[in-house]
Amino acid sequence: MGASQCSQTHPQKYKQYEDFADRTGFSLEQINNLHKRFRQLSDNTETISRENLENIPALANNPLRKQIIGAFFDKRNQHEEEVGSIQEIGFQQFLMVMSHFRPPGLKMTEEEKEAMRKEKLRFLFNMHDTDNDGTITVDEYRKVVEELMSNNDIGQEAAKAIADAAMLEVASINMPHMGPDDFYEGITFEHFEQILKGLEMESRMNVRFLDVDTSTMRCGKGK
Amino acid sequence: MEVIFFNPFDNLLVILLGISLTVWFTLLLVFIIVPATLGVSFGIRRLYMKSLLKIFEWATFRLERGAKEKDHVLYKPYSNAIIAREPTSLVEEIKEIRRSGSNRDLDSASDFEMSDIFYFARRGVESIVDDEVTKRFNTEELESWNLLTRSNHNFHYISLRLTVLWGLGVVIRYGFLLPLRVTLAFTGVGLLVFLTCIIGLLPNGRTKNFLSEKVHLMCYRICVRALTAIITYHDSENKPKNGGICVANHTSPIDVIILASDGCYAMVGQIHGGLMGVIQRSMVKAAPHIWFERSEVKDRHLVAKRLSDHVEDKTKLPILIFPEGTCINNTSVMMFKKGSFEIHSDVYPVAIKYDPRFGDAFWNSSKFGMVSYLLRMMSSWAIVCSVWYLPPMSREEGEDAVQFANRVKAAIARQGGLVDLLWDGGLKRGKVKDTFKEEQQKLYSKILVGTQEDRSRS
Repeated sequence: MGASQCSQTHPQKYKQYEDFADRTGFSLEQINNLHKRFRQLSDNTETISRENLENIPALANNPLRKQIIGAFFDKRNQHEEEVGSIQEIGFQQFLMVMSHFRPPGLKMTEEEKEAMRKEKLRFLFNMHDTDNDGTITVDEYRKVVEELMSNNDIGQEAAKAIADAAMLEVASINMPHMGPDDFYEGITFEHFEQILKGLEMESRMNVRFLDVDTSTMRCGKGK
Repeated sequence: MEVIFFNPFDNLLVILLGISLTVWFTLLLVFIIVPATLGVSFGIRRLYMKSLLKIFEWATFRLERGAKEKDHVLYKPYSNAIIAREPTSLVEEIKEIRRSGSNRDLDSASDFEMSDIFYFARRGVESIVDDEVTKRFNTEELESWNLLTRSNHNFHYISLRLTVLWGLGVVIRYGFLLPLRVTLAFTGVGLLVFLTCIIGLLPNGRTKNFLSEKVHLMCYRICVRALTAIITYHDSENKPKNGGICVANHTSPIDVIILASDGCYAMVGQIHGGLMGVIQRSMVKAAPHIWFERSEVKDRHLVAKRLSDHVEDKTKLPILIFPEGTCINNTSVMMFKKGSFEIHSDVYPVAIKYDPRFGDAFWNSSKFGMVSYLLRMMSSWAIVCSVWYLPPMSREEGEDAVQFANRVKAAIARQGGLVDLLWDGGLKRGKVKDTFKEEQQKLYSKILVGTQEDRSRS
């Protein structure tokens, strides 16, 4: 990915970007653009806090705002083995979370596409599973449903009913031999994958990052 | 011995100093103050503007050529979006998502699908990467270089000629233009305060109004020259008349000077302390400006009443109001506050658009204080802007204040070539109200309830 790039006047920055590009799969131009955006959001400091993201007006429209912001500060989305949440994130963590929304590349093999799909599903799973025990319980699910609905029109009982019905459906698909007295613990990641198996999500859950038009610049060999 | 040596030199020095100061002030008087008083122009500023443009073109060309020769990547500011968005609505997308979930057929689909959250998650991340509002409160980025290091991140050593040119630019701007402008500014403000106090002593009547008009115009024209502002006024036949309200988009405190140097307005605002307060208090002696105490500003009825009273008196000057309430970076027009549109009178919209090539006029009040802002303004090359006077509008039957405000806003945005946004300029400092989130929630609930009803009917 770095072959067609000119080296920048700041070789350290270039090296860092290359490192990010390898880890996240973004191109160098996209990383540059995202870095500018990061600096805009963080008021030119090194880290972004939750308030910085909460101040974005367009995000206020979104019923899942809390979960989305939480996802940025969730250690599980950093692809390391740690759990918990952090107070502020740097540019690298910002990029890692963004990389979940990258569209699949044209030259990806089947395995790579599968891996990417699993990553995206894992991201959504983490959004529901707030206590990080590996399952989405009825309560956790209900919370998400409540956030999506308006409190006035439908009311909390309706949200509870919808959540219960959905959980029942998941249970019936995944554990068809459950007796009437068995208690369904919660949706595990495998069940989650199973439900959403047919869904063509590679195009649903990605954001089309553009490259800057570099056609007016002449690129020589990298320095 | 030494005494004899120094005396002739001292004298010479003093004489030289005296001569240069005299020459300086004469030039100032002839070329700047007198035309300002009479309202004519020698055209020096336009000539200056044209030559500057040629120099900038050359500088940008050299910068780009230099970068190519050394294989540097040029930091080109992105004026377009970082992401491509699809303009689909909530309803369409959710239907599509459900359709593509293949395991079940559509009729027996459960009401709430897990996949619905995809849409919201994606939209949320899109907003984080690129939203319409946050970028309006930062300075607009330039495509070409205007020899000011503050507006370009590319500046490093490219060629000797370019650096010399830049150095020359610094010397001219800080050594020649800045002192000149500061002198003019002090002259202008000083004259304003002094003359309006004198006029205030006259009894109310036609003479007083006439004189006050002349004095205001003259002092504002001097201030315009103090900023080297080159203004083009379009459609002057639509200039606001007495008894009307003039609304304009707001980019910086200089807007007031720009508009007031072409016509007389009654200004509205809060009374400040310090130098500003002195100016305000003396201005109100000569002309009926409307100043509020800090405590009165909160009382909307009082404000509306005073404005209405002023407007009803048809002999009084038109009121100048900036309905956005805060400074925006001149790429868009934000929500107009409806207060000024509730008063019954003709509204004269005015669009102001600054040319960013010569100097950035946007006042980012969270970054710069007033004094450092003015210093920046006075050490830029010039301030070039266009003012369009739009034909008067009035509220139509069945239109409420908000709709009227939006109509005026759209007209101003269209004329000035600015983006018309629904967002509130107050977002610079505060957060969005929860009502926006509730609307999306309601829409989503309707979808779910709708499917329930369909099922119960069949």
